[in-house]
Amino acid sequence: MSRDILVIGGGIAGIQSSLDLAEMGFKVHLIERLPSIGGKMAQLDKTFPTNDCAI
Amino acid sequence: MLDVGRHPNIELLAYSEVEKVDGQAGDFRVTVRRKARYVEEDKCTGCGACKEKCPTIVPDAFNEWLGERKAIYSWFAQGIPSTHTIDPAHCRQLNGKKCGVCKKGCKADAINFDQKERIVELNVAAIIVATGYDVFAPSRIPEYQYGKIANVVTAIEFERLLSASGPTGGHLDRPSDRAIEAEIEELEKKANRSQKVIAKFEEQHGEASGEFYARYEKGEYSGDEERGKWAEKYQEHLAIVEPLKALKKKAGGFTAAKRLAFIQCVGSRDFRFYPFCSGYCCMHSIKEAIIAHEHGSETTSAIFGMDIRAVGKGFEEYKVRGGNNSNIRYVRGRVAEITEGPNNNPVVIYEDTRERKVKDEEFDLVILATACAPNSGVKQLADLLDIEIDNFGFYKTSATQPLDTTRPGIFVCGCAHGPMDIPESVAQASSAAARAVQTVTASEQMRKAS
Repeated sequence: MSRDILVIGGGIAGIQSSLDLAEMGFKVHLIERLPSIGGKMAQLDKTFPTNDCAI
Repeated sequence: MLDVGRHPNIELLAYSEVEKVDGQAGDFRVTVRRKARYVEEDKCTGCGACKEKCPTIVPDAFNEWLGERKAIYSWFAQGIPSTHTIDPAHCRQLNGKKCGVCKKGCKADAINFDQKERIVELNVAAIIVATGYDVFAPSRIPEYQYGKIANVVTAIEFERLLSASGPTGGHLDRPSDRAIEAEIEELEKKANRSQKVIAKFEEQHGEASGEFYARYEKGEYSGDEERGKWAEKYQEHLAIVEPLKALKKKAGGFTAAKRLAFIQCVGSRDFRFYPFCSGYCCMHSIKEAIIAHEHGSETTSAIFGMDIRAVGKGFEEYKVRGGNNSNIRYVRGRVAEITEGPNNNPVVIYEDTRERKVKDEEFDLVILATACAPNSGVKQLADLLDIEIDNFGFYKTSATQPLDTTRPGIFVCGCAHGPMDIPESVAQASSAAARAVQTVTASEQMRKAS
């Protein structure tokens, strides 16, 4: 039996879930269909309402 | 992103897809297909020497096809993992042609044309689905003429045009102007080649082509086959050079886009497509208008919408600030049609509901705030995971357990759940992580008790 958790999708939601779980000490497998993670958010230049850089 | 790549508790399986899921909450067995990159992940340092050598140029999906990449590529410059990937649809070597220059250029010896896809089996206690959304295809709305008028773009395309690492280096060059510049470049290459051809004749006869051609036109060399060929080549050269001159003159007047129009609810709040509000697009348009104004202080923006939905912490203030400081005008009215005016300028036809008048206005660039559509792969993944989807194609959840799918142990967050912005996605993601942990601990307690 495993305590591991699978996250499907490496956009901002998948990244946040994975980091939270990893920080709690759980082993995470993060699957992304594309060659790199980042998802739609990585395509954004800046984010509202703070105009911070997306990456 | 970087933290994901180096966290010891995260195994990152990029360029992979789920094939099969068996078992139940607390004990899922998942089959994952790791697609062949043709680059060894443990050897590639991400230096990019391979893509500099690669001769094949391909449109770049990360830049919404507005830029170019090579057949060997990294998804984007700061991508994690930085491992490069060979695109099997375009690679010369993988399509049976002689090439392999990337392999020769790779100092890490990471290129492996014989790499095969691999199947990996995982045993997990819980699954979080965070597969995101697709941008609504605005070509489904014929009156907006997306795809027909070059200077009508989507919000995400505009995002790439604004980005310093994007295809224009952050200059707001209009797509129609970029097309003409590409045409000039192409014609210049052709002109150089034809110039070389006529230069040979000029050298041979010790005379400039223009002078020779004037006499030839008068019929001086009738019957001279050699000079006939020269005249023919000179005519061909002129047929390239003259339109090139005209295009260059036109391109001399090109400036960055300064008059912007943002059209809200493209596909959302529209009973033909998605009746729901996509939520983030009002703020997204305001943000893009503010950033565009930061790029050039003379930039003006008009945001056309039924209403501006600035619901969120600090959002209303952001909207007001945009209006006061960034030359943004909010127009209440739904756009009926976009047509093309002089200089490839899109013309927006709309009803100003405050004045009760139908108006038209010319802009440099129109940006469509497209709906948050369900991911195109949603049905396939829902079948694999044996979970249900709702009427629109988002994963089905209930009001009392908003992150639980219809199968215990599988949770959903972000835009796979429904349209939402980044702060909400992040909040949901943390919640989904907590729900997944509950599944793990509950199944452990069950095992201890039995």
